[in-house]
Parts: sequence; structure tokens; C-alpha cells
Amino acid sequence: MGISTPASRQGGRRPRGGLEREILACLAGADGPLTPAQVLASLGEDLAYTTVMTTLSRLHEKGALRREQAGRAYAYSPAADPEGVRSIAVAQRMRRLLETGGDRAGVLAHFVADLGPDDEQLLADLLAESRPAAAPDPDGPPSTGRGAR
Amino acid sequence: MSWLMWWLMWAPLAANLVLATAGPRLAHALPPRAGVRLLPGAMVVVAAGTGAVLASLGFLALAQVPAVAALGDWSPLSLRATQPGPVPLEVAAGVTMLLLLGSAVRHTLRAGHLLVRADAACRRIGAHTHGLVVVDEDVPDAYALPTLPGHLLGHPPGGISGRIVVSTAMLRALPPDERRVLLAHEAAHLAGHHHLYVQLAELAAAANPLLRPTARGVRLAVEREADEAAAAEVGDRRLAARALARAALAKAALAKAETSTGRRAAGVALAATDGFVADRARALLSPAPRPRRLLAAGLVLLAAVTLMGTAAAANRTDDSLDVAERPAATTAVSQGR
Repeated sequence: MGISTPASRQGGRRPRGGLEREILACLAGADGPLTPAQVLASLGEDLAYTTVMTTLSRLHEKGALRREQAGRAYAYSPAADPEGVRSIAVAQRMRRLLETGGDRAGVLAHFVADLGPDDEQLLADLLAESRPAAAPDPDGPPSTGRGAR
Repeated sequence: MSWLMWWLMWAPLAANLVLATAGPRLAHALPPRAGVRLLPGAMVVVAAGTGAVLASLGFLALAQVPAVAALGDWSPLSLRATQPGPVPLEVAAGVTMLLLLGSAVRHTLRAGHLLVRADAACRRIGAHTHGLVVVDEDVPDAYALPTLPGHLLGHPPGGISGRIVVSTAMLRALPPDERRVLLAHEAAHLAGHHHLYVQLAELAAAANPLLRPTARGVRLAVEREADEAAAAEVGDRRLAARALARAALAKAALAKAETSTGRRAAGVALAATDGFVADRARALLSPAPRPRRLLAAGLVLLAAVTLMGTAAAANRTDDSLDVAERPAATTAVSQGR
């Protein structure tokens, strides 16, 4: 496989639970409740409207999301997490423990680590090169370099 | 045959030097999937082999102490005669082995403690949607928190064991397609049980500090494997590189703000500083890694030779003791008087 050619950007298969995680992450990062259409627009790519709607109502049934009537559709947002405060405390304690002790055991797998000064410039350049995806643009056409759908 | 044994017994030490120098480069050159699976095992074999050779040298020095020799019914003089090197060298080997063993044990205890803590944290955070826990925090951060192998928390097969913890600040920093990269990356860590490989490598490095750069290489390989998995899932290597860059810059921006407002002391080294991000981004911008069968075979051969060398060292120790053992009859007579 080479560097992203249009053909290679199929939006490969998601693992089990992958779409649920993405949708939850999308709603958790949004400023307010989103309708299925808004979620679909935000996730974009290769998804069918019904897939998104089914997943949203399944997450609602599980109690992970709450929903409110918004016109003719429902708007979804993450359910207030009864363990939310505790989760924050646990997550923070975990991070602090490993930061002070040094995570020699490799317990936490961070997505990204802190950067050196040179790296910062290199990564900023990388982002500048691929400008179009700099901001979420749900309604816009597929950005260049991402290939055709 | 015995000259072959003699040479073979030094093989673990030679393999140690080879892996210490070539390991970091191997971690770069091997495709990440192969590197993650082969390097930690080879490191453990080499570290254990080195320890065994040092131990056998040290033991022979110990066996020449008259009190110990009496216990084992060995003749210190004939034991001395079988030994190639000077006694101080053997003593140094024994002491080194004890120090390394102590370091390995200390590491194991500490790592075990941290793993238990992480496992407990997983259970306290509770069963969330397919392992995703969103934490409402203004620190852009994301990490995978593993469970212990025994605690799969009733996750269905094919699901992931552990938690993906993401802060809301990180979610807001990334557009949706890049969030997908992040989630796929962390899910790949958990699904591949990457923390176990990292722990094996770190254990080997604790038992043998020469292997520390190689352990660092394993950590990079683990990140790269998760990057490759994420890139394959979204079908776009450049998109994966962008997600990495944006997340890292968001984190760096906050660290800078904290340093300038005094919330974080300048120059404090964080555990998460690894200098890998640029390497990983570069790897994603290059074509997908190709198999390196010869390198992989070389690594397996290195481990095999180390095992043979370890066996040879044990054998030789045994032979030396046999030679030095006083004939049973003589002993009985001497005791009878």
C-alpha cells in the first residue's frame, strides 16, 4: 500500500464497537445535542443515515446517551455520567502516579507524548501542508488529498 | 567437542552486545508488527542468558571457598584448575549477576504494583461504551488503560479489554476523521495487548541495562504498530499523520501555557516525553513498511544461539564440579577417621 491514493481511502472496516465509540466521542466533543443528520454530517465518509440512527438509538437504550425532541428528529447528547466525577479523579490519579514514578512498566499507552522544540515546527509544517482538514467542515465537499468517496 | 562448548558458553554475552547495539536499529527497520512480537522475546532470552553465564562464573568462584567446597564435597584446588579466568573476574561476574537480579526483581514488583493499580482504575471507571471513557477535562489527553489478563471484565470476544480514556479537550482539538484515528490507535494497543510486550522489554532492560535503548525501540515499535492499524482502518496514512500532529500540538500548547502561568514547573520531565511523535509522523508519511524476513530470522537465530550458549554454560559448570568432586570412597574414609 502506498501513500494515500484515492483508491486506498475506502474508510476501512471498523472493529467491533468502533462506530459506537466514534459516535460517543463525536457527541462528547460537540457543543450541544446533535441530531442523527448532524452526527452523520460530522462523521462524514461512508456511513448510511440508518446506520447512524440505529447506533444512536442503541446507545440511548444502553443509557449511554440521552435524547430530546428537536423538530421531527431526536437530538442526542452524552448521558450525564453518574460516575463522571469519580472517573475524572481516577484518570487524574492514574496519570499523576505514572508521571511521578515514571511509567517504566509501560502501563499507559498515550496517543501522543510531549514534544521537543524541533518536533513542534515539523508537525506544524505537516499540518500546514494539508490545510483543508484543519477544521471540521461537515457540509463542505471532501477536502483535497482525501480522495473521492 | 569441549572447545565448542567453551566458545558457545560466551555466546549469550556476545548476543547481549549485538542486541544492545543493533536492537534500536532493528526496532526501526523491522515492520512494527514483527518488531513488537520478536524483540521483547529476544531481549528476555538474551538478558536471562547473560545472567545465567554470569551466575555460573560466580558460582564457580563461590564453590572455591573452602567452607562451600566442603559442603559440596569439591576439591577447591582441582576446581580452580578447571577455571579459565582469574578469581576476581569470577567474583565480579557473580556480584554483577546479583545486582542485575535485584534490579529485575525490584522492577517486577514495581511494574506489578502499577498494573494492579491500572486494573483497579479500570474497574472503578466502570463498564463504558466499548471501553471508551470520556473525561471532562481541559487537558488534551488520550491513553489506553489495560486490564490484567485475568480480568477481561466480561468483554465479548473480539471486543477490547481495558479502557480508552479521552479528555473532552482532546476530542474538541480534533476533527471527526482524526478522532477516528485516535480511537483506532488506542483500540489497537488494547486489542494487541501491547502493554505486555512493553513490559517484557522493560523487564529485560531492568535485568540488563545495556538493553535499555532496545526497550525504547520496542516502545516506538508499539506506537508505530498502533499507528499502522489506525491508518489501515481509516485507509489514509496522511490523515493518521495529521491526527498525530494535531493532537501533539494541542498538548504542547497547553504545556506551554501551564509553564508560563506557573502551573507546571519548567523543565520537569514527564513520563510521556518520548520524542517519538516526529518519528511516527515521518513513518506514516512514508509507504507502509515491508516485511524484512532476513532481519527477523537473524533475530530468532540470535535468541537460539543464546539459548544454546546458556545450556553450554550450565553444562560446563556441571562438568567442572564433577571433575572436582572427591571420590566418594576417599571421602568416606576421611570421615571415618
